[in-house]
Amino acid sequence: MQTLANPARFVGLANAVLPFVWVATIILFAIGLYGAIVTSPPDYQQGETVRIMFVHVPAAWLALMVYTVMALASAVAIVFRHPLADVAAKTAAPIGATFTFLALATGSLWGKPMWGAWWVWDARLTSMFVLFLLYIGYMAVWQAIDEPHRAALVARIVALVGFVNIPIVKFSVTWWNSLHQPASVFRIDGPTIAPSMLWPLLVMGLAYTLLFLALHLVSIRAEVTARKIRQMRLAEIGER
Amino acid sequence: MDFAAAHVSFVIGAYALSAIALVGLTIQVITRDRALKAELRRLEEHRR
Repeated sequence: MQTLANPARFVGLANAVLPFVWVATIILFAIGLYGAIVTSPPDYQQGETVRIMFVHVPAAWLALMVYTVMALASAVAIVFRHPLADVAAKTAAPIGATFTFLALATGSLWGKPMWGAWWVWDARLTSMFVLFLLYIGYMAVWQAIDEPHRAALVARIVALVGFVNIPIVKFSVTWWNSLHQPASVFRIDGPTIAPSMLWPLLVMGLAYTLLFLALHLVSIRAEVTARKIRQMRLAEIGER
Repeated sequence: MDFAAAHVSFVIGAYALSAIALVGLTIQVITRDRALKAELRRLEEHRR
């Protein structure tokens, strides 16, 4: 980890890894979409509507995973003062917000034909909406405070306090009566989904994860460049 | 997939929305990275 603390070294590693990550992402999306749209059968109750699962569930998984990455990066920034930890947390937020938005929107498109409503103030949906607001709030902190070190201090607190919501989202369907179905993949007694639907879902989940990795690496590289530009401009002002 | 099945427009809508959001995000992230790299090159050349 200390080796990667050097931004130049990290950018070099990102440049080397990124082409492979992009290619793997495209291949996994192609396989996953083929399984989701062509080979997986319609559900005996939900019919073709079940295919929304293959874009909705991975988006929801990533919404939780990206916030966890943000909280971990913020903890690393506090404990180890890793120079790239705040950058990693900051750049993950817009990507996580997009996945959360997609989980909410595709969930709404799934809910209307199945539940008869676009939205209900159910524990799972509400906690997911709170997660979306946490992402927006976290990004607002970075936008509102000009000085990066001060912004980082506040953003770390927001990320860590907001992390309380992650187990609430995950276990909301167990703790409260919910219209939303309970977990059917990551369960102690194993998945309850038919293998013909499970493999495209897992491949799509992996494709979304690799897409996040690719976008995150590019975003971190861009943020390192942005900070270099800021330093050069400040140095220019200092020389005048 | 049966395109004549009930509620299929909701399925198409979910896939279209996901594609638009993810492709849009990817374009935005790559464009920002390239613009910043170009800006840094300009500044470095200006310094020389």
